[in-house]
Amino acid sequence: MTTQDAQCPFHGNSETRGDDADSARASQHQVHTIPSQEAADYPVADWVDVAALASDPYPIYARLRAESPVAWVPQLNKFLVTNYAGCHAVEQDQEIFSANVSGATMTRAIGAQPMLRKDDPEHSADRAPVNPVLRPKSIKEVWGPVFEGNAETYLEKVAEIGPHEADLNRDYAAPVASQNLIDLLGLKDVSVEQVRRWSHAFIAGMGNVLDDPAIWERCDASTEEADRLLEELIPYYRQNPDASMVSAWANSGLPASNVAANVKLTISGGMNEPQHMVTNMVWALSNHPEQSALVFTDPLLWAAAFDEAVRWQSPIGMYPRETTRETILEGVRIPAGAGIGVVVASANHDEAHFGDSAADFDINRPKRPHLAFGSGVHLCAGHWAAKTSIGQIAVPMAYKRFPGLRVDKQRNESWDGWVFRGLTSLPVTWN
Amino acid sequence: MPTITYTQPNGTQQTLEVAEGTTLMRAAVSNGVDGIVGECGGQAMCATCHVYVRPEYAQALPEISDDEDEMLDCAAAERTDRSRLACQIKIDAELTEIVVDIPAGQL
Ligand code: HEM
Ligand code: FES
Repeated sequence: MTTQDAQCPFHGNSETRGDDADSARASQHQVHTIPSQEAADYPVADWVDVAALASDPYPIYARLRAESPVAWVPQLNKFLVTNYAGCHAVEQDQEIFSANVSGATMTRAIGAQPMLRKDDPEHSADRAPVNPVLRPKSIKEVWGPVFEGNAETYLEKVAEIGPHEADLNRDYAAPVASQNLIDLLGLKDVSVEQVRRWSHAFIAGMGNVLDDPAIWERCDASTEEADRLLEELIPYYRQNPDASMVSAWANSGLPASNVAANVKLTISGGMNEPQHMVTNMVWALSNHPEQSALVFTDPLLWAAAFDEAVRWQSPIGMYPRETTRETILEGVRIPAGAGIGVVVASANHDEAHFGDSAADFDINRPKRPHLAFGSGVHLCAGHWAAKTSIGQIAVPMAYKRFPGLRVDKQRNESWDGWVFRGLTSLPVTWN
Repeated sequence: MPTITYTQPNGTQQTLEVAEGTTLMRAAVSNGVDGIVGECGGQAMCATCHVYVRPEYAQALPEISDDEDEMLDCAAAERTDRSRLACQIKIDAELTEIVVDIPAGQL
């Protein structure tokens, strides 16, 4: 029965939504039905410049939302959906908008189909076993202390590097995100560098629409290393279960091949995004000193700061779906078998949903649902883990350790990407 | 047909006729009922589908599972002994009519 006195570990914090992981999904489908141009009765946005998208996608998103929020983009061979209502509608209907997209490089990259490329009920069979590991209580009570220890370790390293040389991405965000994932998955003795190498190789494979053999070679080598480790870990966890994700999967009755596919999905999707959120938050707070002052005086606001940063500069900008039949979305007729790009980063700046200030960073904005973690059955499995490990632990601890932590304007920062977007380097300094 | 009545914090009510097998969350989201977000699609992973069930219907409800219990603690609005997750309540032969109150916030 109801236990009213029980406390949510997140009590007082705001909600966020989940996201997902695979990298490559964005650029993947090469082989769909290409709607014939003469017969096109849908808007075509042939002006979209893919290189410009990767350097700063937001002006392009704004024009797409204003002109044609559901539009065929020939350069990407898919319909981009850029407004909130359209993205939300796609997420609510997995029968029409399937995650099982054709020609999925994701499946090729990790050697089998993970949950993110399945619809229910197959999706749910893969995902349900790890949901208990990833609910707030386990994340807070079991994993919180582990995440704290990892943050501590790498803050020491940042201190050794010092305020003239430190790069928050390279020296803190990257190793913390990697070690957190190693622990949460239960990968035991693999190194931070090895898991980063696997993650990057899988992500490159997922994006390898041009079939570059060198990329497949690196990806296949990583798949083999990860599979070999899992061949040992799965029987081990059957004998010695613990609170980790691999343990939950190993004891779920799922075939080992499903477990391996989903572990590799998690390695690809559970590292870069939390890494980007460490730097996104510090960059956003550093550029909004009045708001950081509020957060420093009221720690309950860390949750709002995380939630607003993940909305404002969403680490996953777009993910794919495919229509199973002809349908009408936001008044636009879309043929069967068409590739769909769900551009959540654009939906998260939609004035129709967030008001005129949608493009601003504002931790005090009225709470509205956003799509940075996706929505619906594929809502990011790791959303509580990310909120906790980054929003409640890694970033607040960095400010505590280094008073006056801020972007170092003497050195250059860099952003990259649109499908996956984040800071590739963030020089920081402190008092 | 079975019915679900959703009551907004300002007192306005909306009654939906629904098919057996649907959940209170799914019916609300498909019909655009304000105030039920349901962002995890019904997996008891988000607590954005929190509702207060009117006491006269409490008898007909399934027990609160451990997962639901844990997530109800994370709901944005105050948890009471009428609190449930709308995604965990299915309309079926045992439950053909229900009235719920929607909390002021889910996020
Ligand atoms: C701030 C950090 C994160 C962001 C922004 C994010 C974003 C997302 C998004 C947008 C999706 C849905 C993609 C789709 O529907 O196609 C997703 C799914 C997923 N994410 Fe995350 N993610 C984050 C952190 C994590 C972490 C730490 C983990 C590790 C446990 C993780 C594991 C997953 C998994 C396994 C899925 C697939 C879920 C499914 O198919 O049901 N994510 N994530
Ligand atoms: S829809 Fe997420 S808990 Fe009910």
